[in-house]
Amino acid sequence: MSVELVTVTIDDREIQAPKGQGMVETAASAGIEIPVFCYEPRLGAPVGACRMCLCEVEGMPKLQAACTLTAQDGMVLKTAQTSKQAAEGQDAVLEFILLNHPLDCPDCDKGGECPLQDLTFRYGPGKTRMQFPKRTFDKPIPISPLIALDRERCILCYRCTRFSENVAEDGQLVAVNRGAQSIIATFEDEPYRAPFSGNVLELCPVGALTSTTYRFRARPWEIQNVPTVCGMCPSGCNVWATTREGKVARILSRNHPEVHEGWTCDKGRFTYDHLRAPDRITAPLVRVRRRGFEESSYDAALDAAEAGLREAGSSVVVAFSGGETVEQAKALTRIVREACGSEMALLPEEWDPGLEAFRSPLSAIRDAEVCLVLGDQPVLERSPIVDLWLRSARRAGAEVIQVNPAGDVQAAPGSAAQVAASLREGDVPTELKATGKRLRSAKRIALIWSDDDPSGGRHVGALANDLHENGKADVSVYVLPRTPNGRGVPAAWYEAGEGRSEPPEEGEIGALIVSGDEAAYDPRVAELAGRARFVLTTAMFQSDLTAWSHVVVPGTSYLERDGTMVNLEGRKQRLRRAVIPAGLDELEFLSRLGERFGLDIAAWAAPTAEELADLPPGDEFAWSSPDPQAPTGKAAGPGLDLVRVRSLFSGAGVERIPQLQFQRPAPEIELAFDDAESRGIAPGETVRVLSNGTSRDLRARLNRKLRVGVARVAGEHAAGFEDRVQVEKIGA
Amino acid sequence: MPIRELLLQGADERDLTKREEYEAAGGYKSLRKALGMERQAVLDELLAANVRGRGGAGFPMGRKASFLPKPEDTPKPIYLVVNADESEPGTFKDREIMLRVPHLFIEGVITAAYTIGAGTAFIYVRGEYLTEFEVLKAALEEAREAGYVGKDVLGSGFDLTIVVHRGAGAYICGEETGLLESLEGKRGQPRTKPPFPAISGLYASPTLINNVETLATVPKILEMGGAKYAALGVENSAGTRVFSLSGNVARGGNYELELGTTLRELIYDLGGGIPDGRELKAIIPGGSSVPVLNATEVDTPLDFDSMAQAGSMLGSGAVIVIDDRCCMVQLGLRVAQFYMHESCGKCTPCREGTRWMVQLLRKIEDGEATQGELDVLLDVCDRILGNCLCPLGDAAAMPVASYVAKFREEYQRHIDEGACPFGGGSSLEGVLAPVDQHHAHLRGQIEVPTHA
Repeated sequence: MSVELVTVTIDDREIQAPKGQGMVETAASAGIEIPVFCYEPRLGAPVGACRMCLCEVEGMPKLQAACTLTAQDGMVLKTAQTSKQAAEGQDAVLEFILLNHPLDCPDCDKGGECPLQDLTFRYGPGKTRMQFPKRTFDKPIPISPLIALDRERCILCYRCTRFSENVAEDGQLVAVNRGAQSIIATFEDEPYRAPFSGNVLELCPVGALTSTTYRFRARPWEIQNVPTVCGMCPSGCNVWATTREGKVARILSRNHPEVHEGWTCDKGRFTYDHLRAPDRITAPLVRVRRRGFEESSYDAALDAAEAGLREAGSSVVVAFSGGETVEQAKALTRIVREACGSEMALLPEEWDPGLEAFRSPLSAIRDAEVCLVLGDQPVLERSPIVDLWLRSARRAGAEVIQVNPAGDVQAAPGSAAQVAASLREGDVPTELKATGKRLRSAKRIALIWSDDDPSGGRHVGALANDLHENGKADVSVYVLPRTPNGRGVPAAWYEAGEGRSEPPEEGEIGALIVSGDEAAYDPRVAELAGRARFVLTTAMFQSDLTAWSHVVVPGTSYLERDGTMVNLEGRKQRLRRAVIPAGLDELEFLSRLGERFGLDIAAWAAPTAEELADLPPGDEFAWSSPDPQAPTGKAAGPGLDLVRVRSLFSGAGVERIPQLQFQRPAPEIELAFDDAESRGIAPGETVRVLSNGTSRDLRARLNRKLRVGVARVAGEHAAGFEDRVQVEKIGA
Repeated sequence: MPIRELLLQGADERDLTKREEYEAAGGYKSLRKALGMERQAVLDELLAANVRGRGGAGFPMGRKASFLPKPEDTPKPIYLVVNADESEPGTFKDREIMLRVPHLFIEGVITAAYTIGAGTAFIYVRGEYLTEFEVLKAALEEAREAGYVGKDVLGSGFDLTIVVHRGAGAYICGEETGLLESLEGKRGQPRTKPPFPAISGLYASPTLINNVETLATVPKILEMGGAKYAALGVENSAGTRVFSLSGNVARGGNYELELGTTLRELIYDLGGGIPDGRELKAIIPGGSSVPVLNATEVDTPLDFDSMAQAGSMLGSGAVIVIDDRCCMVQLGLRVAQFYMHESCGKCTPCREGTRWMVQLLRKIEDGEATQGELDVLLDVCDRILGNCLCPLGDAAAMPVASYVAKFREEYQRHIDEGACPFGGGSSLEGVLAPVDQHHAHLRGQIEVPTHA
């Protein structure tokens, strides 16, 4: 598609621009500013509400809102720089905006980085003619534990409500009343509980929406913004970590249009105070016989670690958490492979290198005709940004088909691999016939795998290959890993050598290296720890597992690391250290440990520009079709199939942020309408859930879309349950 | 001489709300005629009639309809939306049409829908117009029974659904794009244009929006022929209009006149002049949002060009007569209060400016304003004018600025004397609801003047 170029004149300068490009962008491309408040192209069509962008356009009698204009050949536009009328109009708009604005910049958090402040200095009146008492409202209003609303500062640009309605589609922020009494509110005054709520803080062009975690903590001139990449999920959103006096004060989004369009979920945005949690491990702990753990020097810890590993010989197992940087994972791999001579590793994911052939930027989801989502895990909980891209695809006219127990096509739990295989072979069950047909007719397809089944990459990859080869479609494949660097860590392991073996099913093992808190939470790792003679754990926080360890080394957060992460697209991105950890850097510890075994491991990450190339084109790969596999069948018997949803708002970090607690999953069980009805269970009723001798009372939430015979529970409320649960009405 | 009834013809003699009566008076013949014509031929008649929109803006109806894509050229449905959200203070003509000649109106709607190829027409009726809604609904039911509306209208193969929707009490929903938003179930706020409704209107589909009176004109145009209709009235202002006469006048009510009739003829010959021997002070010729005329301009003809020449507008055809008891500051305050109350809050100048205007006018009325504040008031009007998203801001600024311009000495006296020379009480009797009691109309307390 070639873009027609047109010539427009802005402030007497001729500018070439693609036809139809917004005039704000067109002017910006020539270095000319058209000031805006309400205009934000990511929020959908311009609304022309604030009138800040008034400009003179030749042939039009009145000033025009430039944000609503697009480049047309021969258009002549004058901004406030060259048009007295436009300057007067913008001055008028600012006078009106400031009329009832409290002008409390000295104690407003936005002061110093406030568009209203900046534009007032550039375009506004120097003094006020307003002689009347200003409009007042109750303030600040906590619209959620994370966000405070100051209605007096609000200039009603409707960015926040448009985000809520048009982007996140949560519909929770609304404008109520009209005229001068218009205010922003949450629907029915309920708390703003939505996974992307924090984005409105950045959208707000004034200090009306402020973060309760940043409010009154810092001033713009005493902070530093470090460009890094969020390490809380595999999406790899680019962020700024704002630091003040060596502490992280907030996380802001840093727009990468191909990855996340500048949106960030609340988990990534608000999870940073756990770096200073009181229970954080800040010094190495070494178990001393009969005395328990004692804080030790790093040298003593290294001594103990070296001794433990040497004694284990080649019987060493490493458990990765999937949050490590590529450099850390490589260092650990070398220690295990080269120093210990072992190939035993627990990887967070099994990665199929063939997927590199269908690598595409996440933004390709928006441009797809059909998006097929397979797997039991809700996309939002795995990679929230992918959920936003799917919404934007649907708005753009794409057909989004979710195949899961509560999807557009209801599938049995654990059947995703079978669904993929049947769609590939064309031998599809009735309920998938339409989906199969749609896939065959589409030219741009996005396939998304969101499941715990480790073989997913192979199945969805084979389907993609088939659609590409036989259907001549452009196919993008996204396998959503469970862990932030779930694509980079396995790659690092295999890059250092071919093989990998599983630890023995039973019997003693020499040593277990547990890398990070996520691994420490893994029940498989806990089981291995019970059989290990020596356990070396790296963790930020104490857990059941650290109690089993012999040496515990302080772990770090992504905010404290330098290095490389690979997001779910396969994009290598650079992490930059925002704050210095209390203990030794993890990579430096590994470097020193390697040194004990004669390995030369760099103590700092230095990815080259070539390594960080922006999503290189997919590799050629010869596909072999995987064996059609029987679905992971659930045990038969009475009761319901349990799907454990791993909630986005879970994990060691989230647990330590008080303001995020309201986002964590409620103690609920999701039931199909018919299953509830047959048991006489009403919505919201507390029911008893029994499994494996465990019983727990959970609130029933009815979901009409959920498949009959399936129950869904957030992982943290399903501990101890087996794959089938009994649900009983209490008192029945 | 000047009464020239086209739309309201026969409504005094017969009960035209009944289908049989309307048919007996020749009703629904135009529709049959139209259905026998090509769509383009009907449109050509409307273009030839040169009829301009009766809602207020005065855009030529035929041209507006010709902006829509032909049904065969668009994959989207085409809609006809009728603006029956008559809310401009002083205006009560559409309600008269809906109450007294609903079938004529419905016939116009069907004909217009056929002309543009719309399968669905929505009539957005002002929420407060409950009786009108009920009369309209009953008439529509009769039309459905007779096969004028529904599947295969009169065997022509043309299908039409008409939906009557009641608004919820917002002046801004009379603005065409605000109306569309409201009809779609959203907050009633205007949209930016372009895209214009003809391209992307209701549900992002091509939409023609017309006022009640405009559509009621359609059957008459087809009956007479476009050229003959165009001969009525004066240049650039063809046909007749129903003028709503109110205020300090002996016989207020709706009068259908040929365009070009003078204000004097309407106010004195038909309206019986100013009662109780008082003096004419000012005239609002087109609803509360237009600039005022003073007593010396009473010979201005009621047509689009003459009004523009006089610095005002024909607007919605609501002529409000003001006598010498009225304080122009109170009038300004009352009008500004209305627009502040009705401002939707979307764009800045209107939302903030109308409130500031009220504050300033209140201060002037109370005799507490400084000389500078009168200048600020004019400047605020000036800064609202032309800078807003929709015409509501202008509708507040234009009249107030004109009151100051034409009755400056009265504003000056408020400042010089430190009090309202009219005693500060309600001097708006018979003109508009008193200051600060602008909710009265919501309670249905205000009697609508009936035909004299």
